[in-house]
Amino acid sequence: MKPFTTIIKLDYLQRTRSYSFLITLCASLAIAYTFVPEPNANYSTIRIADYVGVYNSAWFGYVTAIMTSAFLSLIGFYLINSSIKTDIDNRVGHIIAATRISNFSYLLSKVISNFLVLLTIVGTVFGMSILLFFLYNDGFSFYLIQFIKPYVLITCPAMFIVAVIAVVFEVVFEKYTILQNILFFFLFSLLALFSPKNENQYALDLFGNKTVLHQMENEVRTITNSDQTTKLSIGYVLGNVKKANTFEFNGVDFSTSFIISRFVWILIGIGIIVGITPLFHRFKRKENNNTKETAVVQKRLRIKEVLLSVLPKTNENYGVLPLLRTEFLLLFRKGKKWLWIINIIGMVLLSILPIKVAHQMVLPILWFIQVHRISDITTREITNNVHYFTFTSYKPIARLLVSKISSAIILLLCLATPLLLRVGLLSNFSLVIAIVLGASFIVMTAALLGVLFKGKKLFEVLFFMITYANINGILFLDYFGGFEHTNFYIIRLATLVMLLGCSSFLLRRYQLKK
Amino acid sequence: MKLEIQNVSKRYQRNRYGLKDFSITIEKGILGLLGPNGAGKSTLLKMIATVNKPSDGIISLNKNNIAKDANYMRKQLGFLPQDFGVYPNLNAYEFLEYMAAMKGIGGPNLKPRIHQLLEGLNLIDTAKKPIGTYSGGMKQRIGIAQALLNSPKIIIFDEPTVGLDPEERVRFRNLISDLANDCIVILSSHIVSDIDTIADQVAVMKNGTLITHGNQENIISNVHDKVYETSIKKEELGTFKLNHIVVSTSRKNENLLVRYITTAPIANSIRQVATLEDAYLYLTKNN
Repeated sequence: MKPFTTIIKLDYLQRTRSYSFLITLCASLAIAYTFVPEPNANYSTIRIADYVGVYNSAWFGYVTAIMTSAFLSLIGFYLINSSIKTDIDNRVGHIIAATRISNFSYLLSKVISNFLVLLTIVGTVFGMSILLFFLYNDGFSFYLIQFIKPYVLITCPAMFIVAVIAVVFEVVFEKYTILQNILFFFLFSLLALFSPKNENQYALDLFGNKTVLHQMENEVRTITNSDQTTKLSIGYVLGNVKKANTFEFNGVDFSTSFIISRFVWILIGIGIIVGITPLFHRFKRKENNNTKETAVVQKRLRIKEVLLSVLPKTNENYGVLPLLRTEFLLLFRKGKKWLWIINIIGMVLLSILPIKVAHQMVLPILWFIQVHRISDITTREITNNVHYFTFTSYKPIARLLVSKISSAIILLLCLATPLLLRVGLLSNFSLVIAIVLGASFIVMTAALLGVLFKGKKLFEVLFFMITYANINGILFLDYFGGFEHTNFYIIRLATLVMLLGCSSFLLRRYQLKK
Repeated sequence: MKLEIQNVSKRYQRNRYGLKDFSITIEKGILGLLGPNGAGKSTLLKMIATVNKPSDGIISLNKNNIAKDANYMRKQLGFLPQDFGVYPNLNAYEFLEYMAAMKGIGGPNLKPRIHQLLEGLNLIDTAKKPIGTYSGGMKQRIGIAQALLNSPKIIIFDEPTVGLDPEERVRFRNLISDLANDCIVILSSHIVSDIDTIADQVAVMKNGTLITHGNQENIISNVHDKVYETSIKKEELGTFKLNHIVVSTSRKNENLLVRYITTAPIANSIRQVATLEDAYLYLTKNN
C-alpha cells in the first residue's frame, strides 16, 4: 500500500508545485469571491425567480458548493486532463512501464492524484465561502455543518467522477486531446441538462446539485403560493438591477438513497477504471509510432564531406515573410489532419447558416477548436526546445514574435473568411472590423499569457470559459462583435488589442534582455 | 577575428556561480573546452552565443561588446546547443529554411546551400520526411546543418558528438577541421578523444573556473614523466585508487593492467607516453 500512496503523493506534489497551479489557486479564490454576490452587487449567481436566500450559513455553504460543483466540473477537467500525457512528455513513461506497478494501480493513482488536485481547489473555495459568510452574513449564526455537508455530498463526489472521466478519456482517446476536450464539453452539457422527475432520479444526478435546487424552488413556491414552475437561474447573470426578495433557506435533509448514491458514484468510477485497464497502452504506442520510421532511415546514416568554403554563398535577408510562411505552416500542420474536416464543416456552416447564428454560435466554436494551435504560439519554442535557436536569431522580437502573432491571426481570419465575405458583401464593415479585432484579441491574449506564465494551460482554460460564455450570450465576454459592434465597442476592443500586443512585446523584450 | 572573454562570471544565487572570473582570448582556429559535467562549459558557450548574459565581465567580438550588441554576434554565429529540439511537423528543408529566415539569410543560393549541406550530412534521402520521425543522430546532423547555414565566422558546438556513432564522429572531426580554416570554432566535450585530434588550443575547466589553457603539448607537459602502467591484483584496486589517479584499467588474466598517474610509482611500473586524457584527469582531480 505504501508504494501506491507514495506514487499518489509524489504525482500530486509534482503537479501542484508549479507557478501555473499557484495562479490557478489565485484565480479560484477570485472566482469563489464572486460565488455569493456582495449585497449590492448587480449580478446574481443562484436566483429563483425574484428570490435569493437570506445570507445565512446554509445559503453560503450550499450556493458555493453548487457553484463549485458546476464550474469546477467543467473547468477542472481541462486542468487535469493530461496527467498520463505529462508522463509521456516528461519521458518517464518507459521507466514507469518497466516497473512493477500494475496498470490498474497506475490509473487509479492518476485518478486519485487528479482528485486531490481538484480537492485542493475545492478546499480553497471552501475557505473563501466561510470568509464570505463573515463578510456578508445578515447577523445569522455560523454553522460549520452547513458548509461541510454540501461540499462532502455534492462537490467531492462530482470532483471524483471528473477525475475518473479525465483518466478514462486519456486511456480511450490517448493523444487525441482535442477530441477529449470536445467530447467532455458535450458530456457536461448533457449532464447539466438532466432533469430528475422524482426523488429516486436525484441519485442519477452526477453533479448532485439538482436536489438542492429543486428544494430551493419548492421553498420559493411555498412563499409565493404558486404551483407554477419558478424560473431558476444558475450561473452569472449580469445586470440584475432589480433588488431580489429573500427567503430563508436552511439546508437540505438529504435522503438516504441520495447519500448512498453519492458513494455509489465513486464506486462506479473505480469500476470504470477497472473496466478500461485492459485498454491502457502502458506507453507502448508512442514508442511504436517512432521506431518504424527511424529504423528505415538509420541504415543510411553516414556523414560525407562538407566543405564550407565551396558551399554557395547566401545573401542577407531580414524580411519577415519567410518566417511568417513557416509559422503559418506550423500552425496549419499542428494536430491531426482529420481536425481540418471539422474546420471545413465549420466554414461551410459559416457560409450557409443565418449570419446571426453563424456569427454568434459557429464562429466562437470554430475559433475555439483552434485552441491547441494558438495556445502555445509564444511557448512553442521552449516546449520544442528550439529556444536556443530562436532567442539567438537576428532581432527575435521585431521579426519572430510579429510573425508568430500575425500567422495565428491570419489562420483565424482564414477560417472566418466565409462570414467575413458575407458581412462584407452586406457592407457591414464595422462587423468585419470587429471580427478582425476579435481574432487579434484572442491571439494577443494567447501570446501575452504564454509570455507571462510560460505555459498554455491558463489560456486554454480562459479561452474555454470565454467561449462557453459566448455561447450562452454573455455580452461582457463578446470579443468578436457577435452581439454588439458599435463604434465605441470597436474602439474599446482595438485599445484592448493594442494593450495586449504592447504588453507581450515589452515582456518578451524584458525576458530576452534578462 | 578576435573573441575576448574578460573576467566573465555567471552568478545564479548570491554565492552560487555557474562560471567564475573566466578569461580567455580566442583567435582563428579550434578551441577545445574540456571539463567534467557541471564544469561550466555550457554556461560559457551560452553566454558567447548571446543566449545568456554574463553577471560580470565582458565578452567582445572584434572589440564589440556582445552583451550590448547581441545582433553583431548573431549575424556571424553558428551555434549547436547541447540540448536542442526541432519542430517535428517540419521536414529538414522547411526547418533549415526557417532557421535561415531567423538568421536573416536568403537569396537564390539559399536552397542550393541547404541541399548541399543536407547532402554532405547525408540527410538528403530523408529530407522531405517530418523531423519528428528522425533518430537522435539524424536530429544532431540537422543541428549541425543549421549551425553552418549562414557562413558563420564563429561556430560553437556544445557536445556535438552526442548521438553520433564512432565512424560519424571521425567524419565530424574532419568537418570541423575544414571549418577552422577561416573562422573560430569552439568545441566543448567531456570526451577527450573528440578534442585531442583537432583542437589547436585546449581549455580545461572545473567547477566554473578555468584550470589551464594552452596548446596540447603545454597541457600534456603537466603529466610528463608521471604516467605509468602496472599490473595489480583485482582486490587491490580499491586501495590502489586511494593512493593514485587511475586513468584506466583492463583485465589481463587474473590481474588488472592499470594506467595511473603518480610522482612516486610503485615497483614494476613502466613509464608511458602521456596523453591529453592523462593530463585532463590529472588536472581535474588535482584542482
